[in-house]
Amino acid sequence: MTKKIDNNKPAFAGVDVGSLTAKSVIVLNGTIAGYSLIPTSLNSEQSGLTALQKALEVAKLTRDDVKYIVATGYGRISAPYANKTVTEITCHGRGAHYLHPNTRTIIDMGGQDCKAIRLDKDGNVTDFAMNDKCAAGTGRFLEVMANVFKVKLDDLGPLALKAKEIVPMSSTCTVFAESETVSLLARGEKPENIIKGIHHAIAHRVSGMFSRVGIESDVFFSGGVAKNVGMKAALEEVLKAKIVAPEYDPQLVGALGAAVLAKNYGSKV
Amino acid sequence: MVLETLKKIEEAVKNRPQELAEARKKGEKVVGWFNYNIPEEIIHALGLIPVRLGTGGNDKLVEIGSRYISEKNCVYTRELVGLFEQNKDPYIINSDLVAIDATCLQTYKVGELIKYYFKVNTLILPIPRNFYQPEAHEYFEKELEFFTQKLEEFAGNKLDTNKLAESIKLYKNIRKAVKDLYKYQAADKSPIKWREVFGVVHAGNYLDREQYLSLLQELLKELKEKHGKPEIGSLNGDVRIFLAGSIIPPRDTKLINIIEEVGGRIVGDDLWSGLNSFLDLNIKEPSIKGVAEAYINRVPHAAQHYPLSLETDRRLNNMKQLIGEFKAQGVIYHTLRFCDPFTFNANETHDVFKKEDIPFLEIHTEYSGSDVEAIRTRTGAFLELIKNKNI
Repeated sequence: MTKKIDNNKPAFAGVDVGSLTAKSVIVLNGTIAGYSLIPTSLNSEQSGLTALQKALEVAKLTRDDVKYIVATGYGRISAPYANKTVTEITCHGRGAHYLHPNTRTIIDMGGQDCKAIRLDKDGNVTDFAMNDKCAAGTGRFLEVMANVFKVKLDDLGPLALKAKEIVPMSSTCTVFAESETVSLLARGEKPENIIKGIHHAIAHRVSGMFSRVGIESDVFFSGGVAKNVGMKAALEEVLKAKIVAPEYDPQLVGALGAAVLAKNYGSKV
Repeated sequence: MVLETLKKIEEAVKNRPQELAEARKKGEKVVGWFNYNIPEEIIHALGLIPVRLGTGGNDKLVEIGSRYISEKNCVYTRELVGLFEQNKDPYIINSDLVAIDATCLQTYKVGELIKYYFKVNTLILPIPRNFYQPEAHEYFEKELEFFTQKLEEFAGNKLDTNKLAESIKLYKNIRKAVKDLYKYQAADKSPIKWREVFGVVHAGNYLDREQYLSLLQELLKELKEKHGKPEIGSLNGDVRIFLAGSIIPPRDTKLINIIEEVGGRIVGDDLWSGLNSFLDLNIKEPSIKGVAEAYINRVPHAAQHYPLSLETDRRLNNMKQLIGEFKAQGVIYHTLRFCDPFTFNANETHDVFKKEDIPFLEIHTEYSGSDVEAIRTRTGAFLELIKNKNI
């Protein structure tokens, strides 16, 4: 039986179509009722719709139950199903604020970009910086590195934590870092020490973005790379700041923020 | 609705290359110039035709320019080199002499290269780095004297004080008209957009200067008739953006398009290809000394020497004043990759505005299309930051 919308308790959806994954979060009665995460296909509109559908299935709802949809991520430009599009920077701010209201700084490391975002006490973005024209500090960079070490992406972080020392990595350019890693392995350096060096090189690069926007506690880590424990440890060491571990999947923060905004916009409609 | 005078200006620009070619056939000489501090008054007073050169936004020309200079030179200078190599730009083709001042050193170096590689007839005007010392004023006056002598030899006549006075008056009126035009574009329910005014400024690079003044005055008259006095009262829900930073030359529309596409309204600029060239230039006497003093005292280009303190930084103070005047709500500071004068000061400029609670976004870019979506995201988020507080 199709669940009919209860006007007092409508559902709101956020859809975040990123470069590598598409995510959707459904908010119902002020709580997260369902979510999904799928690989982005070549058709970003279809990816967003599929993610939305899967999240609705988890929430045991249908499209008819959703009052308002906000789309975000790079695929937001192909989201005719959405009522509104909002940039992922604003959405990550809202999502992080929802999960951890004391968040004042966000490090968002996604598939193809990396952002430093500052928030006020209400979750409004007050400043931000973004990497430009470089894959360093992104999920894609770490994927390439995992491939060099012939390990799974998920294993890269735990390996970094096993390191006894850091082998400095001079390049954060994906192509040059790959060849530098091959040279270091040939020299006999231990893989875990090189992997830690890679994480530290990225953390130093990210710290450059914070020299522009500043850093204030609490620091929240979002995006797919936030699942990497080695990256979290390196960032804490380099930024000299304690990073809050979200209780929720960090990859869904943008979609969650979009759902929160959908609720805010949709409630006014 | 397009203003009638804008159509006339567009038509006049279309006809201008042909006019220049015909003028040259009759023996008149055209002086093309680029950079920031070439005093057009002197060129004009000598009976020469001044034309400001340079375009942007063309990645193919950049690639051609990169064959002659490093890829780590800014794209504007690489495009300039590409323009001269191709020798198809109607204003370059019609320039009998190319004058370059040494304000931005990369741009000045293009002057040396085009002479070496493409045998362009060039004339350089050196610029002191530190404008705050008396010796700098003396130095610039001497250099301008030498520059004028060379122009006199090229023109085949001497600089006449009365003619210089007339040229100074003409340019003063042009500057006033452009400043008035900027007031209209920032006004409530304005019938003219900043983008159109920016286009009118660029038309002034090419058109006969008397004709240009006449068209500016006609445009102002049309605006007054259709709109009345320009006033900025309510902000009408617009996100009012002040555009600053590295040069945005004619044809470089990438960032402007994105700002407009994501819903921003540009209401002012301090670009050296925009309003800045028309500000604070008061020539007190019709002489080389008078011209030199005025140019040395104008709002400095970012490549010119740093002032004694941030409080006395005239470039920053000029930005703040214009932001207030145009009631801008945020600054988009455009920096071209490897444009050192503007990128070096970007963080500091960001900090200055942050302290004043003026939202500030640096967009670091070049002419390729690969970063369009990333810029769209940044610009969109910046507009959301200004507009969507407390949603």
